[in-house]
Amino acid sequence: MEHHQSSWRAGLAVGAPALFGIAAWGLVVGIAMVKTGLSVPQSLAMTLLVFAGSAQLAALPLIAAQAPIWIIFLTALVVNLRFVIFSALLAPHFKHLPWHKRFFLGYVTGDLSVALFLQRYPGYAPELGKLSYLKGLLYSNWWAWQAGSIAGIFLGAAVPSAWGLGFAATLAIICITVPMVQNRATLCGVLVAAFIAVLGNGLPYKLGLLAAVIVGMASAMAFEEGAEQWIKKWANKRAEKRAGKQDEKQGDEHE
Amino acid sequence: MSDGEIWATIIALALATAATRSSFWLIGDRIPIPRRIHEMLRYAPACALAAIIAPDLLLGGGQIQLQLSNLKLLAGIAAIGFFLITRNMLQTIVFGMLSFTALRLLHVF
Repeated sequence: MEHHQSSWRAGLAVGAPALFGIAAWGLVVGIAMVKTGLSVPQSLAMTLLVFAGSAQLAALPLIAAQAPIWIIFLTALVVNLRFVIFSALLAPHFKHLPWHKRFFLGYVTGDLSVALFLQRYPGYAPELGKLSYLKGLLYSNWWAWQAGSIAGIFLGAAVPSAWGLGFAATLAIICITVPMVQNRATLCGVLVAAFIAVLGNGLPYKLGLLAAVIVGMASAMAFEEGAEQWIKKWANKRAEKRAGKQDEKQGDEHE
Repeated sequence: MSDGEIWATIIALALATAATRSSFWLIGDRIPIPRRIHEMLRYAPACALAAIIAPDLLLGGGQIQLQLSNLKLLAGIAAIGFFLITRNMLQTIVFGMLSFTALRLLHVF
């Protein structure tokens, strides 16, 4: 599929406001890497190659504690498990691409880009410009993250943590999450996920986050089906009542 | 950790990223997902985003903080309201950061 300029621009435009939050988040992770004792080349390599903030933040204390590499690997794997779900959501849109392109697109996919892409393209039908739209989201997200992270690596010590710059990322995520809550089922899922994430925050391997996603999804689905069945029952009852009344009427006419 | 071990760890972490993020991009065709599961997965992005921010807004020192001294929660609620009215992400981020900083510096609560 060739480049589709207007979709590429649309992807960039939709993602742009969140880039400040992404950069602030990257900055926090950049500072954390240097403070853990990683050298500048190591920190740069980590941000460029690993490109996964939550996994990096989970790995840093383990590196500081001299944990075995396979433990750190497993930790990162578990922290990243939500990306398996995201890849299952995105991949069917781009089945037609060669494997190395699919691999690359998956590798650079961040949380926010997935949410924004699926808002715009909920269906799997091939559409002109889909790929360019996704690339607009992913590449700008990647650059913003790396710019923030590299800034953090070089001048992180100068930024007092009291400023709470990471909060900018939370604010950006709020702005992306709020419009996603388009029905009660999603609201139910979001609230349950938030609740579980808070309760499970102390769990190892960031399992609280994974549990929150799974229980949140299941709750939303249960709500959707419960509400649907209730509406169906209600509709059936009304239809029955109406049919009953019509029978009565017909009976009256016959008399 | 020695320098070499840290480099090996960085490579291992990069593999963990690739293995999870690219998983279904590479093997999706071979693993059919039941329709109902797929319908459920649609809720994953919203749930993940909510789960990422909830601890930042609600927790302090490992405890749930629902009192007024939780400035992030206050600024976050104000930002949600601001966003619902303006629907402008950039302005909301600026508004939220200013609210948070003002509350922090002025010691209102």
